[in-house]
Amino acid sequence: MIKGSYSSSEDSELVRATLNGDKEAFGTIVLRYQSMVARTVKGMLGDSVYTEDIGQEVFIKLYNSLADFRGDSKLSTYIQRIAVNLTLSEIKRRKRFFSMFSQTGNNAMFEYEVHESDGEGRAEATEIVHKALQALEPKFRIIVTMRMLQGYSTKETAEILNLPLGTVLSRLSRAQEQLKQILKNYQV
Amino acid sequence: MKFTDIKNLIIGSLDADADTKEVSRQLENSGAVFGFREGFADKVLDRIYSTGMKVSREVDYLRSMNFVFYRIALTGLAAIIVLLISIYLKEGSLSMNSFLGLNDSNAESIICLLTGN
Repeated sequence: MIKGSYSSSEDSELVRATLNGDKEAFGTIVLRYQSMVARTVKGMLGDSVYTEDIGQEVFIKLYNSLADFRGDSKLSTYIQRIAVNLTLSEIKRRKRFFSMFSQTGNNAMFEYEVHESDGEGRAEATEIVHKALQALEPKFRIIVTMRMLQGYSTKETAEILNLPLGTVLSRLSRAQEQLKQILKNYQV
Repeated sequence: MKFTDIKNLIIGSLDADADTKEVSRQLENSGAVFGFREGFADKVLDRIYSTGMKVSREVDYLRSMNFVFYRIALTGLAAIIVLLISIYLKEGSLSMNSFLGLNDSNAESIICLLTGN
């Protein structure tokens, strides 16, 4: 159980303490950024049971590479990049696996749990977002996830994904067209 | 929030000048919440600070060694191919004499080469 003694600490202080072997400091980093990682991983991979494993991998990778973090960018950006890279690798891995062992195609790899509606349309909202995202190609999906779920600007999205601004803008416009088509045919 | 509102919100979030932070907040308010299950942080810490981490580091190390091995092996193979091509271009064949550099030499010139006279 993580206590709250680091809850108001700066990221740089948490990184220093973690490198000095403080388990609680790293626990605070995990608590602080787990929702951000969840939005990226679940936005990209769907709400399957495996997404939590990928989320754990993100923080394990962060822990192992924390000594290399020089603080040139924000810790959140650094974590976001790890999350994006791991989810894209996972998509490639699943694509390879399914193309080798299955005839069901790509649709089967993005399964998500359909939640019971709570009467206020909450389950539907999650479902609509998931369906819309999973119907997009991964290169568009990542951009939509960064903007729609994480709330990043075009410039921040380009910086995190290490893409030219023009590429992000053109993918945004193409993703928008695709989404319009997808949502036009989608019925609740 | 109605389906059409969510739909408009999703599509509107991709306008280049959209207020993405507001869109993300509104989506969250509409119930589109993406989070891990309770106890996620404890699970991560258990995996990192338990002995299991050591095992995964060893696996990572072996993977890296595998990668390095293939990189070195491929570099070596490329060097051998370049060497064969250069020998073929210089000597005109890939015979044993070409490899030893003895293609155009006779016994006399070898003795001269070895003795220096």
